[in-house]
Amino acid sequence: MSQTILKVNNLQAEIDGKAILKGIDLEVKAGEIHAIMGPNGSGKSTLSSVLAGRDEYEVTGGTVDYLGMDLLDLDPEERAWEGLFLAFQYPVEIPGVSNINFLKTAMAERAKHKGLDPISAKDFLAMVKEKSALVELNDKLKNRSVNEGFSGGEKKRNEIFQMAMLEPKLSILDETDSGLDIDALRIVANGVNTLKTDQNATIVITHYQRLLDYIIPDFVHVLHNGKIIKTGDKSLALELEEKGYDWLIKDFA
Amino acid sequence: MTLLKEKIFDIAISENMEEVVKSALKEIEQRSFPERKTEDWRYAKLGKILSKNYESDATDVNQVSEFLMEGLDANVVVLINGKFSNEFTKIEKQTGVTISSINEAVSNVEFKNHFNKLAERSQEIFTSINTAYNQGGVFIHVEKNVIVEKPIYMINVTSGNGMICNTRNLIVLEKFAEAKVIQGFYSTEGKENLNNSLTESFVKQNAKLNIEKIQNFSMSDRHICTEEIHQEKDSTATINTFMLSGGFIRNGLNIQVDGTNCYSEMNGLFLGTEEQYIDNHTKIEHIKSNCTSSELYKGILKDKSVGVFNGKVIVHKDAQVIEAYQQNNNVILSDEARMNTKPELEIFADDVKCSHGATTGQFDEEAVFYLQARGVSKTAAKEMLIGAFATEVLDKISIPEVRTYIEKSI
Repeated sequence: MSQTILKVNNLQAEIDGKAILKGIDLEVKAGEIHAIMGPNGSGKSTLSSVLAGRDEYEVTGGTVDYLGMDLLDLDPEERAWEGLFLAFQYPVEIPGVSNINFLKTAMAERAKHKGLDPISAKDFLAMVKEKSALVELNDKLKNRSVNEGFSGGEKKRNEIFQMAMLEPKLSILDETDSGLDIDALRIVANGVNTLKTDQNATIVITHYQRLLDYIIPDFVHVLHNGKIIKTGDKSLALELEEKGYDWLIKDFA
Repeated sequence: MTLLKEKIFDIAISENMEEVVKSALKEIEQRSFPERKTEDWRYAKLGKILSKNYESDATDVNQVSEFLMEGLDANVVVLINGKFSNEFTKIEKQTGVTISSINEAVSNVEFKNHFNKLAERSQEIFTSINTAYNQGGVFIHVEKNVIVEKPIYMINVTSGNGMICNTRNLIVLEKFAEAKVIQGFYSTEGKENLNNSLTESFVKQNAKLNIEKIQNFSMSDRHICTEEIHQEKDSTATINTFMLSGGFIRNGLNIQVDGTNCYSEMNGLFLGTEEQYIDNHTKIEHIKSNCTSSELYKGILKDKSVGVFNGKVIVHKDAQVIEAYQQNNNVILSDEARMNTKPELEIFADDVKCSHGATTGQFDEEAVFYLQARGVSKTAAKEMLIGAFATEVLDKISIPEVRTYIEKSI
């Protein structure tokens, strides 16, 4: 039986006193791709933020077990060191911080945390070359400041490049398809599919079904008003594309 | 005992040109110290500085090696408590280049022709004090068409307790001459010293002057540092100031652009911690046409530190086709730190392109989180962002060894 990577149990969270997540249950096993869909304001991005450790959100109830650890007890960087990766909906531009050097620092810190030797400069560069080819990120973009002056598509490709470098156990892609044209979407999806193994897992958070034509989910969950109201297979996504969310929400109400 | 508040000076009068010293002494009588209502000094708390009893006896310094920069091949001039040190000064002889103590230069014609010619226009009492009571300083003269091969590194060391010292320098670059000068201000053990330093610089036709200024005092030391720069046509003057440490730092930078086709640049980086007070007042005066000036000051303030930036640009009526750019960006890292920033533009010409911008804010928390989410610890992420913020100013440094020194210090 596959290893359980993530087990979310009755997770509740609020921001500024307003409840957003109202009891989420989710189990993700190695080798699986889960899609979380839902209309705007349903709590999709809150869920990814809470899992990644953004501190504006206050967890008011429930538990999150990640590889046997209490995830909510870890700082964001500790979560990263343990193999959790969040691809941002809006990747941040950080002028003056080199895209490559910061990744090297991140990987060195992770190695230190794990008690390992840091990757050699030579191996690192070889890895950069290999992984950037995966998402067709050229040298110019790699060596620039983090996301500075990148187009929307380049930013998202850069997210997947970093994901490839960090080789996460669990990747959460937060609205990675937003603002992408079809070519960029194909490149990003191809990157994600190539990185998929039977040892890792992916959560794809999306508003639209479009991305799921390229990244085929094993499970589709529909989030509404802070709860998962329906879980199905990939056909559920197609049904949502056709009929919208209203019929489900009506049923639920 | 010297007590500024009462204008009591127990310091030997400068050995410099008698007439100049005499009129400076008279100015001290006539002028008063800035008060809180003096606009140019409104944030400076001078009380402690003015009511302190200062000593001016010489203190021995055994070595200056800690202030040397790794790998820097330079002419080294050492001033200890404002006095020229023959013992530590090491100058490589170069034809056309004079580097000497100002006390030795008094009889030099070029010295006489230039000394105090810029400073005498100042209304500041600290300038008059400097002129009347300077114990020494450096005279640099570079003849026409001569490029000084090695940077001139002036090491100013303040040592002792409650010392007052006035350092006075004069730099004259003749036509087509070039020089790079590093002014380092440091203190050894000791506390509550006051260093009042003034440099006059003449940058003549097509000459090029570059000054890198480093202020790295102990936290109880006070420093008033004035630059008076005069540019002739086709000349370039750049001054970069790095304020790393020191309880009270006041920089007054005045550039008079008195020729066409000049380029002037002023940049600064300050890092305030504890209860530091860091004040930058700059003034650039465009008198002739077709010139460009550019100014970039960046500050990072922590704890209870206070920063001041006041950048004045004056464009005279006949100075047409002027481009003047000014930018001041600050990051505040604590609730108790404060930044006061004020651009002042006085433009009397009509064909002028001027821009100024000031921002003061906190670190982009989203950027910190982004780096953390990739596995960079919070502390390292903040250091990275401080480094990134400072980079734009560090990039202005023309001497790599100076950059390395500053990078290590921040």
